[in-house]
Amino acid sequence: MFEKILIANRGEIAVRIIRTCKTMGIRTVAVYSEPDFRSIHVIQADEAVLLGGARPSESYLSIDKVIEAALATGCQAIHPGYGFLSENPVFAEKVAAAGLTFIGPPAEVIATMGDKIAAKKLAVIAGVPTVPGYSEAVVSLEAALTAAAEVGYPVLLKPAAGGGGKGMRTVDRAMDMISAMRLCQQETSKSFGDARIFVERFIRRPRHIEIQVIADQHGNVVHLGERECSIQRRYQKIIEESPSCALSPALREKMGNLACELARKAGYVNAGTVEFILDEDGSFYFLEMNTRLQVEHPVTELVNSLDLVELQLRIAAGEALPFRQHEVSLSGWAMEVRVCAEDPKRGFVPSIGLITRYAAPRGRQVRVDAGVDAGSTVSVYYDPLLAKVITWGENREEARRRMVQALNGYHIEGIFTNIDFANLVLTHPVFIRGDLATDFIPTHLLGEGVKITAPLEVLHAMATATTLIYHLRENLVQTSLLPLKSRVGASSTVVKGNYEYVAKSDEDIFPLRLESTGSELLWRVLIGEAVYHVETPPMEYYRRRLKLQINGEVAYLRLKYSGNFIEVAFCGVSRTFEIYNRREWQLARYMPPPVTKVSGNILDCPMPGLVVDVKVTAGERVFRGQEMVILESMKMESAVSAPGDGVVESVCVQPGDAVETGTVLVHFKKD
Amino acid sequence: MVEIMHSNILELFELREHAHAGGGEKRVAIQHQRGKLTARERLHLLLDEGSFEEIDILKVGRGETAGGSESTPGDGVITGHGKISGREVFVFSQDFTVIGGSLGEGHSQKICKVMDLARQVGSPIIGLNDSGGARIQEGVDALAAYGEIFHRNVHASGVIPQISCIMGPCAGGAVYSPSITDFVFMVDQTSHMFVTGPNVVKTVIHKDISSEELGGAAVHAKKSGVAQFVYPNDILCLRAVRQLINFLPSNNRQKAPILDLNDPPERTDPTLDYLVPPNPNQSYDMNVLIYSILDAAEFLEVQPQFAANIICGLGRLGGQTIGLVANQPAVLAGALDNNASFKAARFVRFCDAFNIPLVCLVDVPGFMPGPEQEHGGIIRHGAKLLYAFTEATVPRITVIVRKAYGGAYVVMNSKHIHCDINYAWPTAEIAVMGPRGATEVIHRREIEQAEDPDAMMAEKMETYRKHFMNPFVAAKRGYIDDVIFPRDTRHRLIRTLQFLESKKSGRPDRKHGNIPL
Repeated sequence: MFEKILIANRGEIAVRIIRTCKTMGIRTVAVYSEPDFRSIHVIQADEAVLLGGARPSESYLSIDKVIEAALATGCQAIHPGYGFLSENPVFAEKVAAAGLTFIGPPAEVIATMGDKIAAKKLAVIAGVPTVPGYSEAVVSLEAALTAAAEVGYPVLLKPAAGGGGKGMRTVDRAMDMISAMRLCQQETSKSFGDARIFVERFIRRPRHIEIQVIADQHGNVVHLGERECSIQRRYQKIIEESPSCALSPALREKMGNLACELARKAGYVNAGTVEFILDEDGSFYFLEMNTRLQVEHPVTELVNSLDLVELQLRIAAGEALPFRQHEVSLSGWAMEVRVCAEDPKRGFVPSIGLITRYAAPRGRQVRVDAGVDAGSTVSVYYDPLLAKVITWGENREEARRRMVQALNGYHIEGIFTNIDFANLVLTHPVFIRGDLATDFIPTHLLGEGVKITAPLEVLHAMATATTLIYHLRENLVQTSLLPLKSRVGASSTVVKGNYEYVAKSDEDIFPLRLESTGSELLWRVLIGEAVYHVETPPMEYYRRRLKLQINGEVAYLRLKYSGNFIEVAFCGVSRTFEIYNRREWQLARYMPPPVTKVSGNILDCPMPGLVVDVKVTAGERVFRGQEMVILESMKMESAVSAPGDGVVESVCVQPGDAVETGTVLVHFKKD
Repeated sequence: MVEIMHSNILELFELREHAHAGGGEKRVAIQHQRGKLTARERLHLLLDEGSFEEIDILKVGRGETAGGSESTPGDGVITGHGKISGREVFVFSQDFTVIGGSLGEGHSQKICKVMDLARQVGSPIIGLNDSGGARIQEGVDALAAYGEIFHRNVHASGVIPQISCIMGPCAGGAVYSPSITDFVFMVDQTSHMFVTGPNVVKTVIHKDISSEELGGAAVHAKKSGVAQFVYPNDILCLRAVRQLINFLPSNNRQKAPILDLNDPPERTDPTLDYLVPPNPNQSYDMNVLIYSILDAAEFLEVQPQFAANIICGLGRLGGQTIGLVANQPAVLAGALDNNASFKAARFVRFCDAFNIPLVCLVDVPGFMPGPEQEHGGIIRHGAKLLYAFTEATVPRITVIVRKAYGGAYVVMNSKHIHCDINYAWPTAEIAVMGPRGATEVIHRREIEQAEDPDAMMAEKMETYRKHFMNPFVAAKRGYIDDVIFPRDTRHRLIRTLQFLESKKSGRPDRKHGNIPL
């Protein structure tokens, strides 16, 4: 076994690999970029080497610097994690050439699988079905149109290089091809230096199913069951689970065997994943093979009771797989949620900054793989993935409930995250039924005309929690002022046991009656016809998590109060409640609606990032929706479009500028 | 039943009913249409339920208005006392539905009466202003009436907290009473303050300007610095007054109330170790530190939109109310300019007057340079802040977070102007000026003559940085009492406030100093 390895990655995966290394007694060397100098992976590794500047090309993507660091620190092997250099055959080759072990498959296999066309050819040889598509990659618009016509619309444009959905675009009509091709190629040629695009049929309502395979250097190949990763937003997975509701044991065996066959044909060694799309009729097609550890590997670990990183290390060190296929059996159900730094309320724009408060969920069968902690800074340079929450249960519903509760208790402040959005998915009836497809999010949550109504019991719990915390806080003031109050006539103060409030959030109005049961901790709460028996812990007002027992059931809520306004998040619903006392509520109807300030003739930057391109000049006439500035943030490129028709007065940024949310990008002429 | 009652008792019922009706249904409806509550409704919300006791309910106007035919219940103002969270406060609430809430002799006498009572018993006075201005028909009596109020405002200043809520028009001489009081609250869109209104502006300088642009809440919150607090409507404004009162002692002989929010004094926050970025030119948000150390992250910021380069506000540490003054490096690099100096100076003097300990968080690169500031009187305004801190006798604690350069370092409640305890974070840089400026002065010759001036500059800057850009030099000289771990800031501050609780510090015998106003 290795004595010391280098981990060529950052964030949660670097931390995850270090954890296994520690249990195996392997010393670890972390690498880092300048802004990462105080990151957790740097602190937890035995040694750490500075690679260079913030940009990945100066640090985590610099092959020579990484290998140099490994040699300088006397490492025997390099674990690439996922992303960055993990699927770069040149890197794997150079690692080997430097006399080090690359913890992953051989460079040739990475090269083959990394080339979608070669991978597809190999799949055909292995007898794995593939998606109907145009067999050759296209570079020009004309070729793309011809290919699309042959395959039939809708088509999917996929870059020949890369993965993880980067650069992929769907095209419904020929007329949309121009812009889609341009964006697709821009993104891919910049990231991978390869402008080739692959055109294939786009399958509606597919599920994303992938098979984890693992192979040793002695010819043993086994699969560890499937993962379902259908819950995606713009091709980025959000929630994964294993096993999948869609697979029968027979189908699992069939897909597993084919995946193993492909691995054998490819001469695959180490952990890999074969991705399929599963059609509604049960037919499935090969998508690609990922020649690395996947982000979502923990769900496979939990249902197999295995440590995949440990297996990777053992295989790389030349050991044989300690089990055979017939010894593999899945037990229970595991679910994973990716916690990302993004703001779902503002179109999922990246969110950066200092994490000022952090409290991860704990509990039985709850695992959190995190790369951040209180004090971590999230920057625009890297992937927005902060952490993964993984839960296990005897069955799917148990795993799901654990996950909902874990996310209710996951508190991150200072940046926005998708935690509540993920809970919105997890509590959706269609998700609970297991009726998944990759279009789940646009169909059920984010599509036009989709209206999500929060369940009444969830809103009641939120109204109860906010009103109670407000009431108890107000009460505290009364008692604290006792020494300063007049003592004349003080004895006649009558303690009243019932309190009436109105909790208002958006259009929802709840009149509440709090009935004291003699203790500050036990309450009877009446909301309309509903009656709840609520037990609160002794209030600690600096905490942002509240554990309530409502009718005997434990509920974790996150809340942040500021006077009568209390932000609260619970089961995917996040709202601000305003608490009115009875007198205030009677007069509230006279209050004018809040004034919404009209924004002037400026175009604000919607998210932090780097300006890649400015497509307009001063004096130019632009129309509504026209792309004006292209931004790159957290590895994704997006365009800022004109909010209306008008004439550009001045452009305030240029390519290469780092911009923050709210930075003025463009001034328009006043009409 | 009715027959056996004394006729005077019946009359009292009638008189009260008449007073409660204010200006009548029609005027009340108009008040509501404008998004404003009536004078009585406002008091109803401001004070604890059922605690309001009215004084002078039967007083009426002199009857000179509109030929004496118009009824003037309460003479356009409701006065009395009531409780906020159980503590007595005195109040007056101008009634716009009664002859426009205009201020005449009787109206003023009512206000003066409660002001006198408030001062005698040592309770705060809260004025809810909604008045068309002086009652012109009363002539010089109306002017005298204003003067009487101003006189009492000045003499109550520093004795009892005085709070003004502008909840409608407040024009002409009327503005000076609120401006003398400690805090001015305004309601967005429905309140206006100006010495001369849009009509006069039009006549005199031929400029068209709306009331909102001339003296709306937004203007006074952002530009003039007249308003300390602005809220979107009456309900939110009155809630905020209650919140403020809960921070304050009732008078200058009391200490502020202790509110135990169950927040452990020894709570540490590891985030603070990472707050100051490694790059000295990079900014960060001082609010992270403020909200981390204060009890239950509760902070009532004063003038948040005015001179945002300095943060002033009330919070609690270990249950005790403290006044917090902090440079905000995220705005103008936290430099002190005219507005910031004025804003902080006034806040410091309020805290000192009412026995509220001061905590100062420093990250100041200096005073703001440039002709605009110099010609605007940065010398005068900076001196106000210097004077205010130096004069304060309440417990004064300073934590230097990062930059503390030059004169601004001395002004920001340093050991040199006798703060009680001065801590510094390890990230503190206490020096006469930043590395570039200093190197340019000290090594100008060498740099000019060097073969590679840039390299020489960088080298000298690095040397300077190593020698001076830290808190250790100052700590060795005893100017810094201790260099503390950022995560422990809260605990250290509370421990310090504990021992300073019994601090006694006399002032020299004099009529008063001559603060450079």
